[in-house]
Amino acid sequence: MPQTTATHRKLILLALLFAAIVAGFSLYAPRFAQANIATSILQFSTLLALVSLGQGLVVLSGGAGIDLSVGGTVSLSAVLAMMAVRAGAPPALLPVLAIGCGLLLGLVNGVVVTRFGILPLIATLSTYFIYAGTAMALTNGAPIPGVPAWLLPFGRGTVGGIPVHFLTVVVPMFLLAAGLLAFTAWGRWVYALGFNERSARLVGIPVDRMRLLAYALAGALAGAAALVSLAWLGSARPNIGVNLELESLAAVLLGGIAITGGVGGVLGVLLAVVMIVTLKSGLQFVNVATIWQVGVVGLLLILSLLLDLLPARTRLR
Amino acid sequence: MLSKYAFATAALATSLLSGTAGAADKPKVAFVPQITGIPYFNAMEEGGRRAAKDLGVEFIYTGPVDASPIDQLQIVQNLINQGVNAISVSILDASGLSPLVESAKAANLKLFTSDSDAPQSGRALYVAQATDEGLGDTLIDELVKRTGEDATIGIVSGDATASNLNTWIGVIQARAKAKYPKLKLLDPQFSGSSSDKAAQIAGDLMTAHPDLKGLIAVASSTCPGVGQAIESANNVGKVFGTGYCSPNTARSYIKSGAMPFTVLWDPAALGYLTVWAGKQLIDNTPLKASNTVPGLDKPVSYDAKTGILLLGDPSVFTAANVDQFKF
Amino acid sequence: MPSAFRIVGQRELALLLLCLAAGVVFVALSPAYLSAGNVAAVLRNCVELMLVGLGITLLLAMGGIDVTVGLVLGLAAIAIGRLLLAGFDPWVAAAAGPLVGLAIGLITGAVVVFGRIPAIVATIGLLGVYRTAVFVALGGQWLSGLPPTLSAIFAGQIFGIVPVSYLVIGAIYAVAWAALRKTPFGLHLLAIGNNEERARLAGIAVKQVRLGVYAVSGALCGIAAIFYISTYRNVEMTVGSTLALDAIAAVVLGGTNILGGRASLLGTVFGVLLIRMLQNGFTLIGLPSLWQPVVTGALLIGALLIERGLGRDVLRRVTLRAA
Repeated sequence: MPQTTATHRKLILLALLFAAIVAGFSLYAPRFAQANIATSILQFSTLLALVSLGQGLVVLSGGAGIDLSVGGTVSLSAVLAMMAVRAGAPPALLPVLAIGCGLLLGLVNGVVVTRFGILPLIATLSTYFIYAGTAMALTNGAPIPGVPAWLLPFGRGTVGGIPVHFLTVVVPMFLLAAGLLAFTAWGRWVYALGFNERSARLVGIPVDRMRLLAYALAGALAGAAALVSLAWLGSARPNIGVNLELESLAAVLLGGIAITGGVGGVLGVLLAVVMIVTLKSGLQFVNVATIWQVGVVGLLLILSLLLDLLPARTRLR
Repeated sequence: MLSKYAFATAALATSLLSGTAGAADKPKVAFVPQITGIPYFNAMEEGGRRAAKDLGVEFIYTGPVDASPIDQLQIVQNLINQGVNAISVSILDASGLSPLVESAKAANLKLFTSDSDAPQSGRALYVAQATDEGLGDTLIDELVKRTGEDATIGIVSGDATASNLNTWIGVIQARAKAKYPKLKLLDPQFSGSSSDKAAQIAGDLMTAHPDLKGLIAVASSTCPGVGQAIESANNVGKVFGTGYCSPNTARSYIKSGAMPFTVLWDPAALGYLTVWAGKQLIDNTPLKASNTVPGLDKPVSYDAKTGILLLGDPSVFTAANVDQFKF
Repeated sequence: MPSAFRIVGQRELALLLLCLAAGVVFVALSPAYLSAGNVAAVLRNCVELMLVGLGITLLLAMGGIDVTVGLVLGLAAIAIGRLLLAGFDPWVAAAAGPLVGLAIGLITGAVVVFGRIPAIVATIGLLGVYRTAVFVALGGQWLSGLPPTLSAIFAGQIFGIVPVSYLVIGAIYAVAWAALRKTPFGLHLLAIGNNEERARLAGIAVKQVRLGVYAVSGALCGIAAIFYISTYRNVEMTVGSTLALDAIAAVVLGGTNILGGRASLLGTVFGVLLIRMLQNGFTLIGLPSLWQPVVTGALLIGALLIERGLGRDVLRRVTLRAA
């Protein structure tokens, strides 16, 4: 299996880098080491983490898999779910609605990619335009208020310093995904079809159905992110998912998943997400202009991939 | 290899950190704009810096790179964690601020709005450039003076999600309906935040409505596009452009006649007032109904009921006076 | 291979018909649509996308991609603007555009080629880096109030009717067409797009060609920057933010194979025209501009689905090659 030492080494490097970042900022600005920093970093990690998990599954299952529409899916799921509630759907159904919308939008991506064989980059570029555009056009850009009050503690509360949504959604989801990937036949299939599609087909793995599932899951996770955003902000924002497609890709690749699929794991993705958010917070903490954050994250992504070059040279090409 | 990586990281960290010097124990006031890198907020920053120097506080100016509400909230949260004594924000999404207000209160810090308000959030106060009604009414009244009451007028706005811009559009629409029933106000078009898109939309609107008499650029980022489009279409004098545009942004269009007038306040004065207000909040100095602010020409009114500190009436810039203003 | 050389294929014809159909609908709904002013405006709005789209066409045909093109245009435009403000001769300032574009294209190409990073990933990373660069180059301000000297040269018409921009575009497309057909560079480019490994085995200098195409694409963004500055005389922070996705959409719509091996220059031209015609037409018939991206997306996916529906070997396409 491709879960090799290379992946582990990357994970260790990532963890070291993360530790270095935390240590560096804490030394420079002692206030940074306080516990409530962790709370706010996790608070701002949830959306990216959920979306990145879905993105990770899509990329992992190969076939040049990529989902550029995740941000649009988050926005549109939030908007559609709130519009449904406003139109008379019972508010108690809001979680189901948000996740359901996401699932549906993800399924559309999956069908277009697997049934019609359209390259994922182009298929999801199209749906990105459609999802993000529809969310804006339906609302004219204005947020839809009226999220029921009982949902707000889910978005704003903390337990022992950890945001409720991080504890109840992000952690279980990542553990579940990691467990499934590591210990089940399903997980081995995902790696197999990412690693070598031809042989995966030959041994009878339902490649297309697996990929369809990956896109559907990515959609459902984006729907879950939409739900968190509703509970957090108290309204549906038509542009809540802006930039998430690129940020999630950065997190996935930084987390050690190969863009060609089949290599990497989701725990690295979670680490990368928290690291990116920490880095941004830290830079801000020491008052480095926000524009540098964009560049530093981009540079980090490139550097992490250049790193692959070193051991790659020793291998057969 | 590992050590190489660690070294690179360390080098990166030092190079980034060395730029920012640790500050003395002055009280800190921060302002978070809706987006960084546009002249309007740069002017506010400059005013804020001047005030910080005059008042002996440390001023922090930081904001999102995209007009992204989550990024903005994250920045505000960060400033709270940093223990910045008074934090002002030109809010992108009014609905997202309330949890942060609670978080700031818990940390005994002051969180208030400036330039764009979140009235329901429990913020300490709102530093307003002018009333929304004052801004909307002034603009449409001045425009109708030039186009006449039975004109067709188009609206080009920037980011469709900016709540303050949408409020002004609402005021303009309400005023037009109530006072100028013959006026035909087209639905607003949104260009995002790019000026070339604004120019394209403005051009398309003029083509679609040959009887178009006026074009309103609501977002400051749409001002150059609208002015440019009117000039390119050789419609100077036929179509009157206007908007909430600073003299620096619109100067050449004001002079060419593409935009015979624009409406704005002095953003630097607003930035100055914002920091001054932050200082009063830190010192727990109660605000009076009318306050004399050193560094500002006119007294500033405060409405204790709504918590609005008002800079004053908006200014109207025309070819006659535009050169007196350097912002 | 012969499909790469067809001048007018099915796709191009279909796009042309779509453009015409859109035109007919818009004329029926808005009398102003066919006015000389509007036709000129639509053509004007196509200029940058035509040039940037040509670069993307070449990149995609080679099996590459670049999502930073909008920012490259922005950086080149900033260079031109700064030189204009510093009082340089407009020709000198204009020349800086393609040079800066070329230089950045080389950087991008070097990261992709020598870093052996999949192009989509590398350029997503560089997107962040170049955004920071744009901000720093602008110093957090806008470049505005540029002198009209450049506009006088590049925003004008020859013989009072043919826009200078289209003379340049026509010449560049002719060169690109000939290069793809007649020169080793073009043949190598398509060969790499067809099968990079085989191209390498055939002795093609794969790295040099790939680097070269990124440089060419950068230079094209730089040329587009000249026209951008001439028209808008203003550069702000968000410059070019939607350009890359629009360009990729237009090029794919035009029938260039994103997996490489086939370039359709004429398809790109029609793809650009169709996207801009729709954007303009929608405003003209009074549809809110917020729906425009939805239309672009629907058009793109619609075209691809129809193509698929016509029946092709689906599985063969799902080749493992990350863009």
